[in-house]
Amino acid sequence: MFSKTNDNSVMNLKEVETIVGPSVKVKGDFHCGGNIIVEGEVEGSLICGNMLQIKNGSKISADVSAKEAVIGGEVNGDIKVNGYLEITETAKILGDVEAGIISIAKGAFFNGNCSMTKDRQSNGKEEKKTAERGEQ
Amino acid sequence: MHVYIYDTFLGDKKFARTLAKIEARITDLGLSGKIGRLGVAKKTIDLVKDEIKRGAKTIIAVGNDETVEKIVRCMPGPETPLGIIPIGKDNLIAESLGITAELPACDILSARRVERVGLGVIGDFHFLSKISTTADNFTLRLDSGYSIELKRRGPIISIVNLVTADLALPEGLRFNPRDGLLRLLIEAREKKNVIFSRKNFESVFAFTKATVICDKPVIFNNLIKVNGAIEIEAKKNALSVIVGKNRQF
Repeated sequence: MFSKTNDNSVMNLKEVETIVGPSVKVKGDFHCGGNIIVEGEVEGSLICGNMLQIKNGSKISADVSAKEAVIGGEVNGDIKVNGYLEITETAKILGDVEAGIISIAKGAFFNGNCSMTKDRQSNGKEEKKTAERGEQ
Repeated sequence: MHVYIYDTFLGDKKFARTLAKIEARITDLGLSGKIGRLGVAKKTIDLVKDEIKRGAKTIIAVGNDETVEKIVRCMPGPETPLGIIPIGKDNLIAESLGITAELPACDILSARRVERVGLGVIGDFHFLSKISTTADNFTLRLDSGYSIELKRRGPIISIVNLVTADLALPEGLRFNPRDGLLRLLIEAREKKNVIFSRKNFESVFAFTKATVICDKPVIFNNLIKVNGAIEIEAKKNALSVIVGKNRQF
């Protein structure tokens, strides 16, 4: 069941540390340094030190933080992703989103504010300036 | 001195030839030692402790997974290594440690490749491989501040230290008994993998310490009865074990 995926995500989790299956409900401050796949329910807070995949059918009532994430399930809470955030067409998000890079698929439900990470923006400007200097 | 501890089932005549072969091979390799037998007369813990006190260099479990777990529970620490000679059925622990059959096991003892591994502890009960239950009337509170509840009844729940071949792990998961972590595995709703009759798992959590909380008794491995609350902990580098080249970690 783990090799199959209903979400059309580009993320490939080669090494997974935690899997929250569909018959499990996690309550409290859920922290994990490795990659996480969520197919069940999470209530409280969800902090992932690496890649997070929230699959279609899962229900998260928590603020979510991760290095990179693919969201295909329901999230009630704010989402903060340092790197790439992919919201697939099955996602339902009620909360604010902050990410370095973002992609939202057609059909996804998203009700909240969206902002890009400041560091990422400033890095982008610096990169642009450096490129312009290089051209001159 | 090597101390070979034979399990009670090896008293059956059908194992006489196998034991004779093993003993001959051990003598050829210069690994002869004392033979102790598990039985009703003497408790395993007394037998192992006495032999270590008398200066046993290695304790060797001769038997199956149950023999290994019985002896692991009695090992006082990692100073004296544990060797395994698998005989009969149910030797998944030996297989995971790269020990496939009786005679190659003697050669592995001779090569003496010692690895330190962790153990799981529930209450004061130590285990090398895993403990399991089908009870669903408990909550597991993990040390890192969250708890796990089941939304359906009756899946097999295992707490694993050393992975054995009967567990079909989800792709991408790597367990190592040296990392100081235990894994909680919850069986998937689907039936067993028909071809290999292995159990598939849908949920995996890694932890170092957890508490089982229940209002009715929960029994693990038909052996450990939990009533109320009990701690489960990973004990890093708690056992030295002689392994083969083809070990699974």
